[in-house]
Amino acid sequence: MTTTVRGREDVTSHVPGHVDHEHGVDVLDGSEQDGHGQHHAHPLHKVWLFLISMRTGLWIILTLGVLTLLGTLLMQVEPEVRADAAAYQQWLAGTPTQRYGGWAGILDKLGLFHVFSTWYFIALFGLLSLSILACSVNRAPRLWRVATRPRTTMSTVFYDHAPLRATIDLPIDGAAAVERVRAALHHRHFRILDAPDQRGSALYADRFRWGPFGTVIAHLSLILVMLGFVVSASTGFRDKSFIAPVGVPVSVGHGTGLVVEAKSFTDSYYDNGAPKDYVSDLVLTADGKQVARHDTRVNSPLIYDGVWFHQSSFGIGADVTVKDGDTTVYSGLVPLQWQSDDGQQSIGQLSIPARGLTVFVIEAASGRVLADLPAGSAQLEVHKAGVDNPLAAPVVSQGQSSLVDGLTYTYQRNRQYTGLTVKQDSGSWVVGLGAALLILGCYLVFFMPHRRLWVRVRDNADGTSQVRLGAPLKRDPGFEPVFEDLVSTINRTDAPVGQTPEE
Amino acid sequence: MLTYSQFAFVAALISTVLATIAYAWAMSAGHRAAAGASRRKVLVAASGDDLLDDLDSLPGGLEPQDTVARDTAMSATTLARYGTRLTWLALGFLTVCLALRMMATGHGPFVTQYEFATSLAWGMLASYCYFEWRYHARTLALFILPMTVVALAYAGAQNSQVDPLVPALQNSLLLTIHIIVAIFAYGAFAISFAAAALTLWTPQRWKHLVPKDEVLDRLGYRAVVIGFPLDTMVLVLGAVWAEIAWGSYWSWDPKETASLVTWLIYGGYLHARVARGWTGRRAAWLLVIGFASVVLTFVGNAFFGGLHSYT
Repeated sequence: MTTTVRGREDVTSHVPGHVDHEHGVDVLDGSEQDGHGQHHAHPLHKVWLFLISMRTGLWIILTLGVLTLLGTLLMQVEPEVRADAAAYQQWLAGTPTQRYGGWAGILDKLGLFHVFSTWYFIALFGLLSLSILACSVNRAPRLWRVATRPRTTMSTVFYDHAPLRATIDLPIDGAAAVERVRAALHHRHFRILDAPDQRGSALYADRFRWGPFGTVIAHLSLILVMLGFVVSASTGFRDKSFIAPVGVPVSVGHGTGLVVEAKSFTDSYYDNGAPKDYVSDLVLTADGKQVARHDTRVNSPLIYDGVWFHQSSFGIGADVTVKDGDTTVYSGLVPLQWQSDDGQQSIGQLSIPARGLTVFVIEAASGRVLADLPAGSAQLEVHKAGVDNPLAAPVVSQGQSSLVDGLTYTYQRNRQYTGLTVKQDSGSWVVGLGAALLILGCYLVFFMPHRRLWVRVRDNADGTSQVRLGAPLKRDPGFEPVFEDLVSTINRTDAPVGQTPEE
Repeated sequence: MLTYSQFAFVAALISTVLATIAYAWAMSAGHRAAAGASRRKVLVAASGDDLLDDLDSLPGGLEPQDTVARDTAMSATTLARYGTRLTWLALGFLTVCLALRMMATGHGPFVTQYEFATSLAWGMLASYCYFEWRYHARTLALFILPMTVVALAYAGAQNSQVDPLVPALQNSLLLTIHIIVAIFAYGAFAISFAAAALTLWTPQRWKHLVPKDEVLDRLGYRAVVIGFPLDTMVLVLGAVWAEIAWGSYWSWDPKETASLVTWLIYGGYLHARVARGWTGRRAAWLLVIGFASVVLTFVGNAFFGGLHSYT
């Protein structure tokens, strides 16, 4: 017997069983290679070759990786700020200019302050999807053929040079040797196919033949994930600053017909001051009937009919009403969510776009006593678009009103509010499905690799026989010990013959 | 209980340092033995192969009368065995450390940087022990153990007090699984880095002491084959948690973005190796870049802030 030898690639590069690195396929089954260009001048074919090229995929992934890294290292603007040109310019003139100096303008021109929404980042993802799809379409038929109609016979040169190979001389005749091989393969759960052989017997055996489809599943799942991103971005809604004043029903909008009311909000803290719990008792109604009630916490959102309510923030706000005569032009809670630089004042902002008005609501910060802004009062600083200075900044007591530029501003009272993120996202299910398939695909590829081997048994003139085994190694280091164990079993004198263990 | 956890931490650190010394010493002794054997034109059984991994076979390959070389080689064998035992001991101590801490805090090691770093060290030690047991790849210890010492030293420099769970982290089961899977993934990536580092940075005159590049290449690949699916799970579990806690499965938060970069690099490595035939130094460089990304992901939130900063 000769022992198992793992062949060197330079020796086996021309024989079946070698992975053809240039074309990224296993040529074990003598698959016909594409001409790769020289005979196909048609532009569409060139596009196809470009898309199925591994090099294309690698360069796209590399470029996406670099861009993603830049998006991590460089400051990124919030989408809401970017949507407002003036706010964006203000943001750009702030920390980015201080941090990056003269480079800030160039980085801005290149879109590197919003890398993940640039056209080229999205285009690269699109191109990657196409490339993945093309590769999968290109590869699937070959995988199907290998799984369902494998090549069952091999020539002598294969047995001479296969990456895993063994030659075993057995003191039994060919028929008994075949039974011994068959039993050993059955014992290791291999599928066995008889192969035609005019001079003896031949077998083809394999295991995990559907494993390679994991690559197709994994790659298509990536497309599904990217599709999910698109669905998320283009359907449903996401309101990241939904304010629900405690005790006041608020319409969710977006065509949901839902009304949410925070019955209470509670924040609690550990002894060291760290936050312990934020909980909003939310009641959801539709058409005047309660449809859900839930203690909403950070890790426990209220979910109803595909609409999710996440605990996001909390605070104190000022109830403000603005009227033009008897017509109400604004009524709502203005969250006092900012603090002045000196920490003395809490500030909120409301906008009346139709009138070109922005109003800052200013109160003394919690625990601060300000002579010109006593407790129970708020200052309403009214700005009009195109006017440099505030129109007015009256200090108004609770329940009192002030007339500014023909509008009546009333400061009703302060009220606690809970801040929610409300969203309806059909894309998350698509992404979830894609993620599950991605994991499944990965495990199929890496832990269920297609293991194939060919066996040839020949009778010798003296009643003994010779068994030759050959197998590709490919990217499956775990196959080598299995192969060695198989050879060892076949070579044992007490090897089981004709036994077919239960699967 | 936390005090005992700290004791176990210190014991693990000491054991790891001693194991590092033992392995380095074994390497040196093995080198001397091989040099002595070479001078006497004695055929060394493991010639051209991995001495540290094949130390058991080394004495048998020397001529009986070559007592000096044999003594040195045997001491190398002994030292390497001590190194292995000390490594297992360190893993045991660190397991006790983390288990006691989890019992005391009532949650997984996912709150403080001390807990992250200690877990990462545990992951590297566990991965190394598996690879040594499965593939007899002791030489990897030359990089893995110093890296573990650095991780433990970093953990030791952090505040080890128990921080209570802030609301965002009150999803103990999901986050514990997320972190445990990440620990195993990063441990496997550390192994692949060690294999790549041995390929790239072993001086020529020491080359005969480490496994052949082909073997290291396979070890690195094997580690990534284990680590990559786990890293995929880390990303997915993180996205699931983000969906529940923040209302968005993906926010381009710095840490999750860095995780994606890491995943892309290892995905690129797998494609480059499997489909383009990248092996040896080119593949090794990808593994080095991949692990640099792991480190960036691990410590990144300290610099970048984002949703993964809870201070």
